[in-house]
Amino acid sequence: MRLSIILISLFLGVLNVNSQCINFAKSVGKDYLGEYIHDGNYNATILEEGEKAELYKTFFSGQKYRVAIAKVEQLPDIHFRILDKEGNVLFDNIKYDYRLVWDFKVESTQMLIVELNVLEKSTGADDLINGCVSVLFGLEPGKKKKK
Amino acid sequence: MTKATIYFLSLAIGGVLVFSSCNSGQKKQKSEEQQIVESVNVDGKLVDDFKKSKLIFYSLPSPLETAMLIKRAGATYSEELLNPLSNIDKYSTNRQMALNLGIYSADLSYTSLFDQTQSSIKYMANAKRLADGLGIMDAIDEETLKKLEANIDNRDVMLDIISETFMSSNAYLTENDRPAIAVMVLVGGWVEGLYLATRLTNGSVENNKRLIDRIVYQKLSLYTVINLLEEYQDNEDVQYLLERISELNEIFEKVEISNTSKIEAETDAESRVTTIKAESEAVISPIVFEELMKKVEEIRTEFVS
Repeated sequence: MRLSIILISLFLGVLNVNSQCINFAKSVGKDYLGEYIHDGNYNATILEEGEKAELYKTFFSGQKYRVAIAKVEQLPDIHFRILDKEGNVLFDNIKYDYRLVWDFKVESTQMLIVELNVLEKSTGADDLINGCVSVLFGLEPGKKKKK
Repeated sequence: MTKATIYFLSLAIGGVLVFSSCNSGQKKQKSEEQQIVESVNVDGKLVDDFKKSKLIFYSLPSPLETAMLIKRAGATYSEELLNPLSNIDKYSTNRQMALNLGIYSADLSYTSLFDQTQSSIKYMANAKRLADGLGIMDAIDEETLKKLEANIDNRDVMLDIISETFMSSNAYLTENDRPAIAVMVLVGGWVEGLYLATRLTNGSVENNKRLIDRIVYQKLSLYTVINLLEEYQDNEDVQYLLERISELNEIFEKVEISNTSKIEAETDAESRVTTIKAESEAVISPIVFEELMKKVEEIRTEFVS
């Protein structure tokens, strides 16, 4: 019976870890968007130290975007860059103290790549830290009409 | 241990394995790469590099973003373009429900941005019915509808509610081993946005140049749509959608988009804004535009029927 409990706990534990990223994105990630309106897309997953992710998105001219990356506290800093499709670096947060929230405007519509790299701080391969990382896009709200 | 316990444990362990390997297409890909690496005798560094292979995500313009782009291009509101609310009774298969959840979400975003609050509430109710039909728990509940009704005078709050329900539906499907359904919802929303935009031009490339520009640049988003669908093409519904979307791609291939200057970025560290500067040119002929309009209408009619 004890074995059953362990295995059931393990099963529920895995479910819990996987379902945590939506709660994390809602409670932490969305806050980082500030007054920007979240576009509604869900981009979140569990990343571990040293892991890289790329996100392809079309940025439309005339629309100001806020890119808000959130990570669980225990993860090291995230190196975040914006690249064009040729791989030219257009923004690199290493120059700005690894800031994870930044606004972007494009003068002409472009497909851009948001690249994330979770830095490594552990020494051994056995104690790699992992946790939820969300990448949310915010749209600048329209100007309020004067009443 | 009783037979029932053994049966439950087998299910549980099986569930753990399936869930872990299908959490996302990217994770699955990584796992396959790991297996390949582990079957070959290579040094530890190479194994580490493979284990840390990149995860790739594709983000489509959401229904909310598309509706915002349509409105900011100066387009008007046209109720008759929306998928009629009464069509909901036609949708019983997963594919129909998923596509039309995306379609109704796009219509909901469009009605909200144009302050058509009563229609927004009705479209949200339809989205809820389809989400319930797909077994999406808690994404849209009675509380969501009440909250929407209570905030009909506050567009920003309404948009926030809509974006949150869209994210919750997508996350629920992705995190519960149903990413193919999640992709179908996204594709339904994208096609509806394209349908609304093309119809709002009244068939002319001259009427509203800004709106035409928005439509033409969907060629870039189409790359994302195709990549997303290809990740789950083992699913027969996704395979069908890929075929239909490929027909659209054939027309978009005739649209020319090119950067006429080098892409450069200018960052203002104080305001934390980066402006990406590039001149770009997009050309669509009236004949190709008409072809595009017809194809979009044909696909959308099939989705809502």
